[in-house]
Amino acid sequence: MILATRSCFKAHLRSFASLASSQVNSATQSPFQVFDREVKRSQKDRAVARDGGNRSRTVDYVRNEVADRMIERFLASDIKRKFPSILDLGSGSGHFSKLLEPDRTQKVTMVDMSKLALGRDPDTEFEVQVERLVLDEEKLLDTIPRNSQEAIVSCLSLHWVNDLPGVLVQIKEALRPDGVFIGAIFGGDTLFELRTALQLAEVEREGGISPHISPMADPRDMSNLLSRAGFNLLTVDVDEVKIRYPSMWELLDDLRDMGENNAIIGRRHLLRRDTLAAASAIYKELHGEEDGTLPATFQVIYMIGWKPAPHQPEPLERGSGKTSLKKVL
Amino acid sequence: MQPAAAASSTAVTPLRRLAIASTTTCAKEASDYGKCIVATYTDVHKDMCKAEFERFGACLRQTMKRKW
Repeated sequence: MILATRSCFKAHLRSFASLASSQVNSATQSPFQVFDREVKRSQKDRAVARDGGNRSRTVDYVRNEVADRMIERFLASDIKRKFPSILDLGSGSGHFSKLLEPDRTQKVTMVDMSKLALGRDPDTEFEVQVERLVLDEEKLLDTIPRNSQEAIVSCLSLHWVNDLPGVLVQIKEALRPDGVFIGAIFGGDTLFELRTALQLAEVEREGGISPHISPMADPRDMSNLLSRAGFNLLTVDVDEVKIRYPSMWELLDDLRDMGENNAIIGRRHLLRRDTLAAASAIYKELHGEEDGTLPATFQVIYMIGWKPAPHQPEPLERGSGKTSLKKVL
Repeated sequence: MQPAAAASSTAVTPLRRLAIASTTTCAKEASDYGKCIVATYTDVHKDMCKAEFERFGACLRQTMKRKW
């Protein structure tokens, strides 16, 4: 019965089925393999190819906002140094790189695994010299020599990396001593509204849940990860970008146009219409604002870390302070 | 190039029709179903709001003129 009705609409179902992933095989699957990188690459490529890049440009708002907040940290923090060149890891179309100015750096190398995303915008939109390099972020050291970079930045791409601790180590290795890493990554509360709506809909309609939203980093773990990777003088802070949508459907469309579709290995390849419609209704009732809009939260963790070097300032020993904070305050 | 792009972005896909049906045409039924879930969302189990969803689903099917 179900099979019969399904086959009638196979053609339509195809249109919203996501890409097929390789079969999950627990025997050969490393515990660090959560995301299908090849699928992610083609999702990014397709997102940029849609409507000649117009759709992708329309949904730049999250990345532009976060890039803006990240460049603030880059300029306003204690990083007064000039960098001859900067490597932008997982740059996408260069949302962060476009904000770099010639008085701080001469050249930026954009690294991304999606060739189409890298080439979306022409060099004229950048103020500094641009070099583009198609490379999987997970294999940074395959192409970038150790101890070669002054500064590495990464704006909203590391949440699709399988082995985050490993990539952080690679970043540290690629940096010169006293080189700096500045990054922004999505935190665990990102899209919690959509996550909860889909979970409630799946439980009530189908009696079980499956992964639709990626697992993401916990802000509390980030500084541990950075220090474990060998970074010094850490700064980590958390911020949120909240966007209001008319309904869940616009959010889903925009996520797809951002190239942020689900790429979890072993994900379900289609969501039943019943479940989708149910999720849309639950999203509105559970999270909807009074004015009828639906908020979507993007939690962003910003981090700064330095590769250790002999002349770097170090924290004083505990208890060596001479001024009492009590008096100051 | 431009007109083609415009046409493809306004083309009404089945999913787009489902979106319109679930948020506009069947807004009342959707809201009833959503309220039923939200009333006890910390303890949801299968078919907890079956009656509400059946009304919502019936409206969707009627609006979209198809069964699934």
